[in-house]
Amino acid sequence: MTEVQSSSNTDTPVLECIDIERRFGGLVAVTGVDFKIRKGEIFGLVGPNGSGKTTLTNAITGFYPPNVGSIILDGKDITGTAPHKVAGMGVARTFQNLALFNGMSVLDNILLGRHIHMNPGVISTALYWWLARPEEIANREIVEEVIDFLQLESIRHELVDGIPIGLKKRVELARALVAEPHLLILDEPMAGMNQEEKEYMARFILDARAERGVSVLLIEHHMDVITGICDQVLALNYGEMIATGTPQDVIKDPRVIEAYIGGSHGE
Amino acid sequence: MFYRLSGVHHSSYKSDRKMFPVPADRNLVVFLLILGIAAPFLVPSLYLNSYMLPWLIWTAAVLGLNLVTGWAGQLHLGYAAVMAVGAYSAVHAAKFGIPWEFALLIGGLASSVIGSLFAFTALRVKGLYLALTTLAMQFVMDWVLTHSPAISGGSHASLQSPTFALLGQKITSDAGLYYVALGWCVLVTIFMLNLKRTGLGRALVAVREKDFAAAILGVNSFYYKVVAFAASSFIAGVTGAILVATFYFLAAPEQFAVNVSIQVLAMVIIGGLGSIIGSYLGAALILLVPGIVNKIFSGGADVIGLNLGIETLAHIPNAAYGALIVIFLMVEPLGLGKLYANVRDYLMVWPFDQLKK
Repeated sequence: MTEVQSSSNTDTPVLECIDIERRFGGLVAVTGVDFKIRKGEIFGLVGPNGSGKTTLTNAITGFYPPNVGSIILDGKDITGTAPHKVAGMGVARTFQNLALFNGMSVLDNILLGRHIHMNPGVISTALYWWLARPEEIANREIVEEVIDFLQLESIRHELVDGIPIGLKKRVELARALVAEPHLLILDEPMAGMNQEEKEYMARFILDARAERGVSVLLIEHHMDVITGICDQVLALNYGEMIATGTPQDVIKDPRVIEAYIGGSHGE
Repeated sequence: MFYRLSGVHHSSYKSDRKMFPVPADRNLVVFLLILGIAAPFLVPSLYLNSYMLPWLIWTAAVLGLNLVTGWAGQLHLGYAAVMAVGAYSAVHAAKFGIPWEFALLIGGLASSVIGSLFAFTALRVKGLYLALTTLAMQFVMDWVLTHSPAISGGSHASLQSPTFALLGQKITSDAGLYYVALGWCVLVTIFMLNLKRTGLGRALVAVREKDFAAAILGVNSFYYKVVAFAASSFIAGVTGAILVATFYFLAAPEQFAVNVSIQVLAMVIIGGLGSIIGSYLGAALILLVPGIVNKIFSGGADVIGLNLGIETLAHIPNAAYGALIVIFLMVEPLGLGKLYANVRDYLMVWPFDQLKK
């Protein structure tokens, strides 16, 4: 696997969000959010339900562009770029509620992750043997590497509809990884998993960084995962930043404790 | 049984992505193709040209609509209008002296251009609103055809199609015309089979299933919807032209009216969205079963000596035919193609009964 091309200056953050604000009508979902993700970093994003974590990822990936502020990817301003173009610039993500394509096999779902590296069209489909097949096979080889890495060999040809949720999450991670992103956004990849599956997933994320040099923005509720694998953490509450820094500092922050557990009611 | 997978080992990605990875499927298709080629020698020419030929042409049409509705998931109620564009363009081109090979191409391209221009504007809306917009296209095309004598010759006129010819050879024999229909249907089928294993097919399914997830993978849904409309319109245009050149022999506006659009859509839905074998079965059910039901009822009435009025005889088959469609869709809402797939999946694991759903 080739190393992800580094940007001209190695100090350039992979992602920089400057003073992001996103409103829905009168509701301010996210405001004043400022952070940087450096190359090769696993950056945790925590906060109670409704604190704006998913809105922030939607702002980065272009689904809901921010009303205020700018998003810089690899030194390039991508504020307001359409999602399919953001994907082409090296951002891949998984979804909180899974977004696999039913009716397709696991293999075809993962192959779709290669879309930005392929050139599908009507003519190449009509003349499959001469035009499409070499490209399909070359991309299949890359997909098979990731299938091997995430241990999905045995379910390759299964329909994605029928496999258990832990594997679905893994297939979605595979689909994001085959795109060879610089920035991987994982929206609650461990929701609904048991301890063993969580450990597997954490290991896969660490390995993906080690082997592929990918930077990760990780949204999680499991504090053990956050403290275990993240380098930096940002905590949100009601759309505002309440703490940022290393995981150990952030989980000790009284405002984070208050947001998660509730304030102290003692005298 | 029959479809067993044991002993079938693919050792390269190329062989894993063969058109028919299961040998039984390939053998079945080869057998059917041989039957298709031998049909002129097996079937009386009356049946050949009044049943087999239209069935193959309509199957090609259904496959084209399936591309938009089954693969890309966009409801299209103006398909006959797109066929009309191709038919009239090709016939006019042929009348002008252009060889039929190019006339068919012109028909396809004309349909493709109009279909994608239309899609470009219509795809700003989604779902049922898009369906209604495509219906509007159908009505606009009906109006244009009946009100522009330059195209159609006027509201009750029809346009004579020049004798069909390929490579300078005039084709007039029943077998010749049948082979033209068979050839086109096979070409369209091969295209659709390829669609199942290329990035284009995957992108279309992605757009159909979850367009936000498609977007994050870099799939531009608007672009791929327009591509689906363009490719489907090309198939529709050529199919319309072949329909006129080999079956109707003249083009008239009512051949491409709104009821035809609905009928093709019915073939797609009964056959199964996104199913290739289903397209064949759906076209057969809608096209051929009314005649068969009719025969059964009139024959049956004769046998038991029941004296049915001509009115009753005309209506009972229609009711039975309607009931048949309802029954099929109740048994398997995903269509006849899925019904076949269920049998195939069952036989694959027989004698173990782990029926794959």
